[in-house]
Amino acid sequence: MDTYYLMQIINGLSAGMIYALIAIGFTLIFGVLNVVNFAHGEMYTIGAFGGLVCITALNWPLALVIIAALAAGGLAGIVLERLAFKPFRRFQDEASLKSRAMREATLLSSLAVSIIVKELIQYFFGAEMQSIPTQYLLNDPIPVGPLSFSNGQFLILGSSILMLGGLQYVLYRTRIGLSIRAISNNPLGAKYVGLSVDRTIIATFAVGSMMGGAAGILVGLYYGAIFPSMGFAPSIKAFVAMVMGGLSSIPGAVVCALILGVCEALATDFMAQGWSDMVAYAFLILTLIFFPQGIFGARRERV
Amino acid sequence: MYNPEAPDMTDTKPVTSPLRSKLLTAGLLLIVLAVIPGTLSVLGKSYYTQVANSALIYCILAASMNLITGTAGLLCLGHAAFFGIGAYTAALLATNFGLPFVVTLPLGGIVAGLGGVLVALPTMRLISIYFAVATLGVGEIIHVTLLNWVPVTRGPMGVQIYDPITIFGHQFTSLLSIYYVIAVLACISIYIIWRLTNSYFGNALRSVREDDQCAEAMGINVVKLKIQAFAISTFFAGLAGAIMAHSIGYISPDSFQFSESILILAMVVVGGLGSLPGGIFGALLLILLPEVARGLGDLRMVAVGVVMFLSILLLPKGIFGEVSAIDMARKQFNAAWGGRQSVGWK
Repeated sequence: MDTYYLMQIINGLSAGMIYALIAIGFTLIFGVLNVVNFAHGEMYTIGAFGGLVCITALNWPLALVIIAALAAGGLAGIVLERLAFKPFRRFQDEASLKSRAMREATLLSSLAVSIIVKELIQYFFGAEMQSIPTQYLLNDPIPVGPLSFSNGQFLILGSSILMLGGLQYVLYRTRIGLSIRAISNNPLGAKYVGLSVDRTIIATFAVGSMMGGAAGILVGLYYGAIFPSMGFAPSIKAFVAMVMGGLSSIPGAVVCALILGVCEALATDFMAQGWSDMVAYAFLILTLIFFPQGIFGARRERV
Repeated sequence: MYNPEAPDMTDTKPVTSPLRSKLLTAGLLLIVLAVIPGTLSVLGKSYYTQVANSALIYCILAASMNLITGTAGLLCLGHAAFFGIGAYTAALLATNFGLPFVVTLPLGGIVAGLGGVLVALPTMRLISIYFAVATLGVGEIIHVTLLNWVPVTRGPMGVQIYDPITIFGHQFTSLLSIYYVIAVLACISIYIIWRLTNSYFGNALRSVREDDQCAEAMGINVVKLKIQAFAISTFFAGLAGAIMAHSIGYISPDSFQFSESILILAMVVVGGLGSLPGGIFGALLLILLPEVARGLGDLRMVAVGVVMFLSILLLPKGIFGEVSAIDMARKQFNAAWGGRQSVGWK
C-alpha cells in the first residue's frame, strides 16, 4: 500500500478517536435519559479552555493538564445536568420520560445553555484563536520506517484507548456502571428496585463530559487551535457517528466514529479542504434514509 | 385527503363586533405603515431604520418557521439554509442576469420552496429528533456548499448587489422607502401564513402535531400534508432571504449558518410554539433586545441565550402560548376576517 494512504489512515484514526470520545458522551446520555444533549460540544470547549488556563496561568505539566481538563469537563457536565436537564425531569414515570414535549424542552434548553456557555467563553477569552506555548504542542515528528507520525497522534490514540478501556471497566465492573446500564435498559424497573435515578444520571453526565473535555484539550494541543466555537464541528461529527451507530450502542458509535474519521481523511485526497465536511453530512442523510435504526442498530422503537 | 369545503362553524357568533376588529387591524397596519416610519424619519438615524428592516425580515422568518415547527410540530434546525438559498438565488440572478426585483423575489422563494420539497421527500417519514437531525445535516450541507462552491457563490467573499430595489421603474433608494417595501411584503406574507394556520389546512397540521397516527387514521395524508407545509414554510424563508439580499445589498455564507437557525428557533420558542403572534413578538424581542441591551456590550448574545433558557424553563408555552393566543385571536382578530371560528379545538 502506498505510504501516503497509510499515513492518511493513521491521521483518520486519530481524528476518529476524538469523534468517538465525544460520541460516547452523547450515547451514554441518550441511553440513560433518551434525550439528545446539544450542549455536549461545549463540554469539549470547556475541557480545552480548562486545560489552557492550567497551561498559561499555572504552567502545569502535560499529564496534570489532561487530568485538569477531565475534571473541568466532568464538573461542567454535572452543572449542565443541574441547569438544563434536572428542571425538566419533574415527572419520572416512563411516559413522561419518553414523551415528546419533555424531550424537545431539554433539547431546546441544552441548546440555550450551549449558546450561553459559548458566548461567555468568547466574552472572557476573545473570539480569536488562543496561542499555546510551543513546548506543549503535540506535533513533534516521530519517524516510523518510511512514515512520519507525530507524538500527538500517538497520545490521542493511546489515551483514547485507555479511556475506552476505563469506560468498559466502569460500565461492566462497577456498581455505578451497573446502574447506568440498568437505567438505560429500563428506567422505571431500575427505579423500582431501588436505584437512585438522579445519582446515576449525574454520574452519566460526569463520565460522558469528562471524555468530551479530555478530547477537547488533546485536540487543542495537537492542532494548536483553541477557540470558543471549536466544539461545533467535532460534536456534529460525533453526533453523526452516534446516529450511524444506532443512537444507544457504544461499540456502534466508536466503530462509526472511526469509519467517519478515516473516510474524511481519505476524502481530502479527492476534494478540497472545505468540502470534506460534506462526507459526514452525506453519511448522516444516507444513514437516516436507508438505516433509520443505525448501521449497528440497537433495536429501539422509532418514537 | 381532506375536504376544503368541509362545514366549519360559521354559525357561531363572533366574540367581538366586526367593526372593532377591523379597527384593530387597521390600527396595527397604521402603526406599521405610518407610526414607525414616521418616528424613524423624525429620529433621523439610518441605523434605527436598518434595525427595523431586519426586524421585519426576521418576522417573516419566524412566521414561516412557526408554521413548520409550531403548527406542524416538526423541529427544523436548518431553516437558515433555506433563507440562504432564497438570498443567493435572488442575489445571483440580479448580479449575473440583471433580473429586476419583481422577478428575483418570487424566484428566490420558489427555488427555496423547491429545495424544501427535495429535502422533505426523503426526510418526511422521519419523526421528532430524527427529523431535526436530518434538517441540521441538510442545513450544514447547504452552508458548506455556499461557502465552498466558489465559481458560483463566490465563496466566503459573498455577493454584492449594486442595483437598488426597482419595482416597475420606480427606484427605492432611501432606507425609508426600502422599509416600506419590506413592511408591505412582511404584512402580506404574515397575512397569508396567518390565514393558512387558521384554515382547515392549519387544523390538519395541528392534528398531525398532536398525534400523527390518529390523524392518518382519520383520513389525513400525513406525509403529503407535511411536505406541503414544509414547502410553504421554506418558500417564505426564501422570500425573506431575497428581501434581505436586495435590501442590504451584500450577503455572505456567514449569515446562513447553524447559529442563525438557532436564533430563528429561539424566536419561535420564546414567543410560544404554534402561535403566530407569539413568533412575531419573539422575533421583535430577540432582534430589538440586543439593540436595547447595547450597554451590555459583548454580552448581548448571552442575554439572548438567557432569555431563551428562562422562557423554556418558566414559560413552557412561550409568551403567547397557543391556547392563550387563540383566545386573544378570537377576541381581537378573528371577526375581522369573516368571523370564522375554526381556530384550534372546540
